[in-house]
Amino acid sequence: MSELTQKIEEPTPKTSEPVLKIEKLIKNYSMGKRNVSALNGIDLKVNKGDFIAIMGPSGSGKTTLLNVLGCLDTPTSGMMALNGKDVAKLPEKKLYSIRRNELGFIFQTFNLFPYLNARENVELPMESTKKSKEERRKRAKELLEMVGLSGREEHRPHRLSAGEQQRVAIARALANDPAIVLADEPTGNLDTKNKHEIVRLLGRLNLDQGTTIIMVTHDSQVASHAERILFLSDGKITEEKRGLHLVKKKLMCPHCGSRIQPSDERCPSCKKKL
Amino acid sequence: MAIMVSVPAGITANQEATQSITANFNSTLSNMQAEINETTTLIQVQTSSGRNFEFGRPPSTSPDMSSGPPSFGSEGESYMNETVVNEISSIGGVKDVVEFLEAPSKETISETISTPFGRTFNISRAVYTITGVSLNSSLIDNYSVLPTNITKGESLQEGDSGVVILTSNLTDYFGVGLGDKVEIYGKYFEVKGIYEPSGSDSTGARALYMNITDTQTITDNAGNVSRLDLYAENASMVNDIADVIKVAYSDLTVTTYQDRLSNLETLQQRYKDNLSSAQSTLSQTQATATQEIIIAVVATSLIVLFMMLYTVRERTKEIGTFKAIGFSNLNVMTQFLLEGVLLSLMAGVVGIAIGYIAAPTLSSILLPNVFSSSSSSGGFQPTGSSLFGVTTSTATLTPELMLLAFGAAILLGALGSLYPAWRAAKIKPAEAMRYE
Repeated sequence: MSELTQKIEEPTPKTSEPVLKIEKLIKNYSMGKRNVSALNGIDLKVNKGDFIAIMGPSGSGKTTLLNVLGCLDTPTSGMMALNGKDVAKLPEKKLYSIRRNELGFIFQTFNLFPYLNARENVELPMESTKKSKEERRKRAKELLEMVGLSGREEHRPHRLSAGEQQRVAIARALANDPAIVLADEPTGNLDTKNKHEIVRLLGRLNLDQGTTIIMVTHDSQVASHAERILFLSDGKITEEKRGLHLVKKKLMCPHCGSRIQPSDERCPSCKKKL
Repeated sequence: MAIMVSVPAGITANQEATQSITANFNSTLSNMQAEINETTTLIQVQTSSGRNFEFGRPPSTSPDMSSGPPSFGSEGESYMNETVVNEISSIGGVKDVVEFLEAPSKETISETISTPFGRTFNISRAVYTITGVSLNSSLIDNYSVLPTNITKGESLQEGDSGVVILTSNLTDYFGVGLGDKVEIYGKYFEVKGIYEPSGSDSTGARALYMNITDTQTITDNAGNVSRLDLYAENASMVNDIADVIKVAYSDLTVTTYQDRLSNLETLQQRYKDNLSSAQSTLSQTQATATQEIIIAVVATSLIVLFMMLYTVRERTKEIGTFKAIGFSNLNVMTQFLLEGVLLSLMAGVVGIAIGYIAAPTLSSILLPNVFSSSSSSGGFQPTGSSLFGVTTSTATLTPELMLLAFGAAILLGALGSLYPAWRAAKIKPAEAMRYE
């Protein structure tokens, strides 16, 4: 792990308001008579364009944290502001529109609807938005093209490979231009080849589109693609490390930040040696 | 759903059957009552010779008015003249009098009859019978005077003269049709109507009816009658009137139908018993059917309920996904409600199809066989009655019933999936996502 990650010396100062800000977040479950503390005071700031991986042993509260961040679950106490709006105490009937408009979900098991084809699956989150049928269709086509599935729009999930299914799921998560994409073990059900393709796709989306991604994984190879890696233990963030963001490394000039090709020897913008 | 559709079909059929049985019975009963009223007050007075037939045939004891042609033997016809008719008509208690003059046709046919002892007789008899009737509309309308089963043309009416109605076999004999003229006793009569002889005993009988005054004219019998049908004011006077006539005119044959009264009354009572037993059987079936439909409705709702609960359970993760991608509780609930209704509708279509095919069979099983049950208890079986039609009445799927079934399907589908849909809506997304 040490060769893939390196400790942050000094946190990069950000001037803009974080897209997500969490303070003293606590989540308790009651399992029968026992009270289980799943999140034990989490403080976290997520800036726009962050690519965060959350790691930790099972039972450390990774999924709970992701569920709370995704407004699928409400915290017991603490503050959680999404785009400056406190969502910690919102009731379920107000949370669905936040999930629809501000958040995108990617699951380990893809969770595509088997009776809908790829395009329809992508269109589904746009169902109750103001977009017209044509706009939705156009957007779905664009997204499927972006994830490399053009020409397979009309295929049902069972006719797609696991990697392709996860691409559809990624396209679906991006449908409503979410502020944050939350991915729960997105490569957990994929073979090595597809695992790398999917995590690279996420890295590229982060780099090209500036999509904010929070990803839960227990795979350090996958985690190393992220920029920030949070280690969770007993419901607390115990450590934060800087990831390698391999896609960024390959495709962005470390000197000026402009786009480069892996084959380039010098940056086409600042002409410095790579 | 198939049960759901066919059971109301059975109930409707039962209701229809009850109604048709009741209507049939009631009309039969009222006919019977009319017949009782008429026949029990009837006293038939005939000249004795009117019942003598050729070659020692015994006088008919049959009370049937349409029995074979009376003979007017060579010993001389005897008639009741106007004086006798007036005397009889004025007996106290006589309400109405219908006069008849029966005469044989002039045309005769010869027959040779062999006895077992080797003797042969040549006899000649009339080809047809002429019956003259007093055409008084109050009498024609109220009593059985003229044949009723006219097949062509019209029956005789008050004031008709020079016209006849005749049996269909007689038209063949004369070679005439409706509106043609036939020659009777040298005079021509127009055929006004043609009728079929009723009853098995008149098969082959050739007869014609005309105004009594016409008969009196052509047979030279002015004022004479051969038969009087007297109607008493009520049945209790019949025997007294008959006795008076018997004493005063010993040569006349007086026939009453009092003995038929008890028969008819027994018959009537049996009809009434049959009706009430049929009604109670049907109402029992109906009650059973109502219970069945309640059970069917409850069962259907429960089936939909459990099916949808199972579906919701099976698709918990899907529901979680729906919620994760931004569907509201209401969206989810609506979706499951619609799904339940849609499934019920599809089942309704199948059910109606099955009901449509199976209803006749089902109803014949469901509907009680009214007459087998009444006859098995030694009851009276009405012959030639339209009542037999009842047992074959089937349950048919009317459009209203189909609509009802569709409505029921939608309602039950919605009802049964209401709770599961609510459950689905209430599933917490985080818990749903954990569900495998």
